[in-house]
Amino acid sequence: MIFRSADMKNGPAVEYGEPVIEIAGVYKSFGNNHVLKDFNLTINRGENVVVLGKSGCGKSVLIKCIIGLLSYDAGSIKVFGNEISQLPIAELDELRARIGFVFQSSALYDSMTVRENLEFPLRRHGKHKSKSEVQGLVEETLKDVGLLDAINLMPSELSGGMRKRIGLARSLILHPEIMLYDEPTTGLDPITSGEIINLMLNVQKKYNTTSITISHDMHCAKITGNRLAIIVNGTNYSDGTFEELSIIDDPQTHPFFE
Amino acid sequence: MNNSPNIEPDKEVPELKEGFFDLLPKGLIEFLNEAGEIARFAGKFFKQVLRPPYEFKEVLKQAFEIGYRSLSLVSITSFIIGLVLTLQSRPTLVEFGAEAWLPSMVGISIIRELGPVVIALICAGKIGSSIGAELGSMKVTEQIDAMEVSGTNPFKYIVVTRILSTTLTIPILIIIGDAVALYGSYLAVNIRGSVSFTLFFKQVFDSLEFSDVVPAFIKTFFFGFAIGLIGCYKGYNSKKGTEGVGRSANSAVVIGSLLVFIIDLIAVQITEFFGFL
Ligand SMILES: Nc1ncnc2c1ncn2[C@@H]1O[C@H](COP(=O)(O)OP(=O)(O)OP(=O)(O)O)[C@@H](O)[C@H]1O
Ligand SMILES: [Mg+2]
Repeated sequence: MIFRSADMKNGPAVEYGEPVIEIAGVYKSFGNNHVLKDFNLTINRGENVVVLGKSGCGKSVLIKCIIGLLSYDAGSIKVFGNEISQLPIAELDELRARIGFVFQSSALYDSMTVRENLEFPLRRHGKHKSKSEVQGLVEETLKDVGLLDAINLMPSELSGGMRKRIGLARSLILHPEIMLYDEPTTGLDPITSGEIINLMLNVQKKYNTTSITISHDMHCAKITGNRLAIIVNGTNYSDGTFEELSIIDDPQTHPFFE
Repeated sequence: MNNSPNIEPDKEVPELKEGFFDLLPKGLIEFLNEAGEIARFAGKFFKQVLRPPYEFKEVLKQAFEIGYRSLSLVSITSFIIGLVLTLQSRPTLVEFGAEAWLPSMVGISIIRELGPVVIALICAGKIGSSIGAELGSMKVTEQIDAMEVSGTNPFKYIVVTRILSTTLTIPILIIIGDAVALYGSYLAVNIRGSVSFTLFFKQVFDSLEFSDVVPAFIKTFFFGFAIGLIGCYKGYNSKKGTEGVGRSANSAVVIGSLLVFIIDLIAVQITEFFGFL
């Protein structure tokens, strides 16, 4: 790592809460493909961290490890103080209910309508709610993303931007404390990606979330993140605010800010 | 590190040590590897099928979808098989002056062998490929991951329910197909001769014995299980990209059909061995 926020004497003194995600010395490889190598990152309550890195460097792998979709080979990942790899499945599911995950490919269930897509996490996380409560939550969340009209459509009838928004709505429906966004604006036109960014900011405000956003989009990173982390060769190479990182002259960091 | 039960360690291709295995052809090793993986997948099914929560609703929904979507195809093919088989057999029987045996002969061939195997092959094509493609695309578009983070065991919700529903539905499709094929045969008998509906079916059922019907029926459950298992296995382990999805669907059909023949062969051996009681 070449740079840490703390190196900066006159950095902005914003106070955040206790750590909610603590990643320490994580290794992950697939066969001979060593993706994460001694990765470290701590995120405090209220922080919105943007993770940058070139394609294939392991950004998606990192957040899938955080939510327990992938196991890691060594190191420790703690979410709300719980070591992910050691949680029994029931507790892991409880923890997952507090985390919203927006997939890179939206991952809407093709065989279900938009309404059923949104109801799925509500039903499956075993929160017994009445029909009208479920209905109310689905409609409120769809209103949040501005797609109430699409409630009875199938995912195949939606555009890419709409799918992203429905995917976002589905992960918001349980009112998570942590949001993990996997490339929320990639592949969208500037207007639609602007809308998604606004939605993300609204989510931050409305639900007071802590978030990790994976993005190549510097505009998105600048607006939605109060801290950046750049992955190079599987490690957290540099970590700091947008302003701090944009002025360092380093061949690995600089290209992101051009 | 201690993995929690649902985090699957990512499968790695074991590095083969120099030695005995190098002497075997590569294709054979791949075949054995695959067979082992399928057996493990089946083992996982049996482990999870008995554990709550039971996804009854999803099983019924899948069974309905699978049955409903294949019913017309199964009916049409069975009808033609019954018709053609009867027309083709007639001249030979006439030669021996055994025309009266036509209903019995056709009935036995359809119930014992042709009905179950042909319909199972059709199901391997239609149902196996659609399950393979569906699960494959769920895998590559991260829908399976999305289910897992929504507090759902995807293996149980997707795989177990589909294998259960093919195991229950394909036998029903085969019974329906058998009936339609016999009806086709009845029509074919009546093109030349004239046999009443009741007489035709009386002849068919009189010639059928317990030992014809029961083993033929039991093996259909194994056909259904094998077709569901292979479709799910191929789809669930689909490689990234649309090409991977196509390949899953394709090999689900090939391996599924092959398994149908193998199970049929084994079933015949077992039936013979017990002389069927
Ligand atoms: N399930 C898996 N099995 C094997 N290898 C994998 C798996 N998932 C990811 N990889 C490998 O891990 C590496 C990192 O993948 P990852 O998806 O995290 O990249 P990424 O940083 O998200 O890239 P992108 O910006 O293109 O999404 C890649 O080399 C990929 O091939
Ligand atoms: Mg990615």
